[in-house]
Amino acid sequence: MSSRLRLFVTVALTGVALASPALAHDGEGVTGGLTSGFLHPLTGVDHLVAMIAVGLWGAQLGAPAIFLLPIAFPLVMALGGVLGVLHIPLPAPEMMIALSALLLGAAVAMRVRPPVVVAALIVALFAIFHGHAHGAELPGAADPMAYGVGFVTATGLLHGFGILTGALSRWPLGARVIQGLGASIALLGGYFLFLGAGVAG
Amino acid sequence: MMRRSRQAGVGALFLLLSATNAKAHILGARLGDFYAGAAHPLTDLKDVTLWVALGMLAGSLGAKQTRPLLLLFPFGLAIGVTSAMALNVTSEGALFAAGALVLLGALLAAAAPIPVVALGGFALVLAMMRGAANAAAIGPETNRLLFVAGLSAAGYVVVTLVSAATLAFRGEMADARAWRSIAIRALGSWLAALGLMMGGLALAS
Repeated sequence: MSSRLRLFVTVALTGVALASPALAHDGEGVTGGLTSGFLHPLTGVDHLVAMIAVGLWGAQLGAPAIFLLPIAFPLVMALGGVLGVLHIPLPAPEMMIALSALLLGAAVAMRVRPPVVVAALIVALFAIFHGHAHGAELPGAADPMAYGVGFVTATGLLHGFGILTGALSRWPLGARVIQGLGASIALLGGYFLFLGAGVAG
Repeated sequence: MMRRSRQAGVGALFLLLSATNAKAHILGARLGDFYAGAAHPLTDLKDVTLWVALGMLAGSLGAKQTRPLLLLFPFGLAIGVTSAMALNVTSEGALFAAGALVLLGALLAAAAPIPVVALGGFALVLAMMRGAANAAAIGPETNRLLFVAGLSAAGYVVVTLVSAATLAFRGEMADARAWRSIAIRALGSWLAALGLMMGGLALAS
């Protein structure tokens, strides 16, 4: 272990060992909101796999999609979030989220390469539904602002994870692994779609 | 020598992290309101995200754009909180805060070039509005001068640190397509997304 790494580990362990509550006057609400917002995209498997698929697809498509996607997606998703907050209904949001996992996963599995504008429109359409689902739950959160910070951060990190994993597609074997991941995501999406339609489960 | 100074650094960090409250009554009696002023905006994510967004935007534009902000922002906070106290007007300003966050985040995401005067003017208005919003925490027993000083000091420290960190992260000669610039722009879009949702929430309630 290098001395720099040892130093980092020491400092990190020290910080964890000596951590104490922040005691901010509204700390409980903020902490609760942050935790709930951060965990929400991670505990909803359909949302989680769809977000990773967005990152994987962006990495497969390469520039400019790979850097336009993580910049544009949160904004479009937030528009859906506003619709959810304002209780403006969208048709079958849960089905659309499952469909997004199915189609985005299939696009990754089959290495579909549409023009960037078309890919962006497809992703944007689904982003609105994902945002709507989160937005609808936002007002009930312990601290709505903290919930928003947590959920936007978690979603962005899922994209980042997808993009980083998608970097494997530079190598032939890695490209096959990414396609396999895409197929798994599509299967999961299909399962959720059937579940939502009352066919399975 | 390097190893020794590093070890000394770790030791100092240990001591800092394990420090507990001194409970010196003189602080509470004389300077408590300074800390109240400094801590109040930092315990509210609305202020923290706005200040961070402003610091990031300034830092992403370069050192020249950042410098005026370091004076204008704390000055604006002081003006805002003082005016609100004098006029006895307090407002949460939720919709304005959300709109400002959308604007700051969108400018950051777009990597738009912003003139120094425009950025300075916007920072001043934003600081005045948030200063006024923080005036709600001032009670009749609060030492107003200390509270204002604390609030302005916190604003100065946050904006300076965030803009300096952003500037150091992106580098002086940033390439718009380099991954560091893209990371900063992605964070800007997160902030704008957050502002949009907060705006929706403010409209809904």
